[in-house]
Amino acid sequence: MRILVVDCKKIKEKLVEKLLRANISVDDFVKKQIEEYTGPFSDVLKRNLIVAQQTGLPLCQDTGMVEFFVFVGYNVVFTQPLEDILNEAVRQVYMRNPFRYSVVKDPIFERKNTFDNTPAVVHTFITDRENVQIRFLVKGGGSENLTRLFMLNPSVRTDEILDVIVGHIKEHGAKGCPPLNVGIGIGGSSDKALVLSKLALTRQRNEENSDPRYAELEKVIVERLNELKIGFQGLFSSITAYAVHIEHAPTHIANLPVAISVDCYLCRKGVVDVEPERIESL
Amino acid sequence: MLNLRELRVSERLNYSGSFLIMRDAAQRKIQDLLEQKKSLTFDLSGQIVFYAGPTKPLNDKVGIGPTTSERMDRYLRMLFELGVAATVGKGKRSELARNLCQFYKRVYFVAPSGAAAALSEHVKKIELIAFEDLGPEAVYRIDVVDFPLIVAIDSEGNDLFSLKSFSI
Repeated sequence: MRILVVDCKKIKEKLVEKLLRANISVDDFVKKQIEEYTGPFSDVLKRNLIVAQQTGLPLCQDTGMVEFFVFVGYNVVFTQPLEDILNEAVRQVYMRNPFRYSVVKDPIFERKNTFDNTPAVVHTFITDRENVQIRFLVKGGGSENLTRLFMLNPSVRTDEILDVIVGHIKEHGAKGCPPLNVGIGIGGSSDKALVLSKLALTRQRNEENSDPRYAELEKVIVERLNELKIGFQGLFSSITAYAVHIEHAPTHIANLPVAISVDCYLCRKGVVDVEPERIESL
Repeated sequence: MLNLRELRVSERLNYSGSFLIMRDAAQRKIQDLLEQKKSLTFDLSGQIVFYAGPTKPLNDKVGIGPTTSERMDRYLRMLFELGVAATVGKGKRSELARNLCQFYKRVYFVAPSGAAAALSEHVKKIELIAFEDLGPEAVYRIDVVDFPLIVAIDSEGNDLFSLKSFSI
């Protein structure tokens, strides 16, 4: 059997660069949206891109909790424990830059800050690929509070599903710093649907669902959301969402889980591909 | 100093002065202290409370911006009873908050969200006031110049987010 050895130093090096970049710069699409925006505080949002680039101060003071989605070949081994490396990358970026430590250790009792922004949230998926792909989200608390899980009646019509999604964003979308990137997970179990909704957020903006029926749903939802005109800053002067992505999975006959996750207007995320350092045979 | 009662909903202004920065954890701590009949080491009377948590400094500059105000609605009456003159945050607030602003004749502003680097240019000084162990959730005072704000609830309880149409 072939064993692919992936060097963790390389993973860390690439992640450090991308995590930093995600916090201080936006992609070309987002940049264009901000440049074309003319409503309330548009002067400040445009200035923000320049100052962050020039100074290294983050675009948003909420530099988030980092979520990783790691796709690993079934025959890949790492030179160090993977979670340790991911946390080391986060620690290095957040300790060496003028970012904010936004993670507390115990959720109820002490809520004491960990003062290095770790631990990150890590999801690992074993695949048949011959390398490692790490996708990440820099997840701000405001947008994360908009996450919802709806366990719908399995016999609802598609329209009713759309109403639930659009209704949720109509009620709460303004609090997630729109225009939003919307991720929807449909099917699986409750927990699976939530993870799928996060995975949907990691997709490329123009990467529609490979099933044309779901691709059509994505299109219809984004149109309906944009009719709401929630706008930049939630001040009703432009679009509600940049994009909607759906991930779907098989589910139980009695269930129809629908999970919604959103990302703020900055869309702070990244993808790192790491090829194996060497191949050994077992 | 601002004349808060003259401000009208949807008005944009550039504020120079100071803010007292606090968010969820600090307000909960204040509530705990008051329930235990303990006194606070700082005065909130006449202050403008900014719901925020700053970044670490870079050459005396900090990145800052508003967090969701709605989460703080549960502490708003307490703040007004302590003499807080106005609050700053992001997003729509509850009906309770709107009613409290009207009753106490206080104002709620929104500040630009997700624009920490740009807003750092308006921060002239930051000083730790209380609860150091809370890190970014501690109480700070910041001095600001021309800090951009929009009146979201005025002292008559008019709410920007309930208006059918408006222009800023």
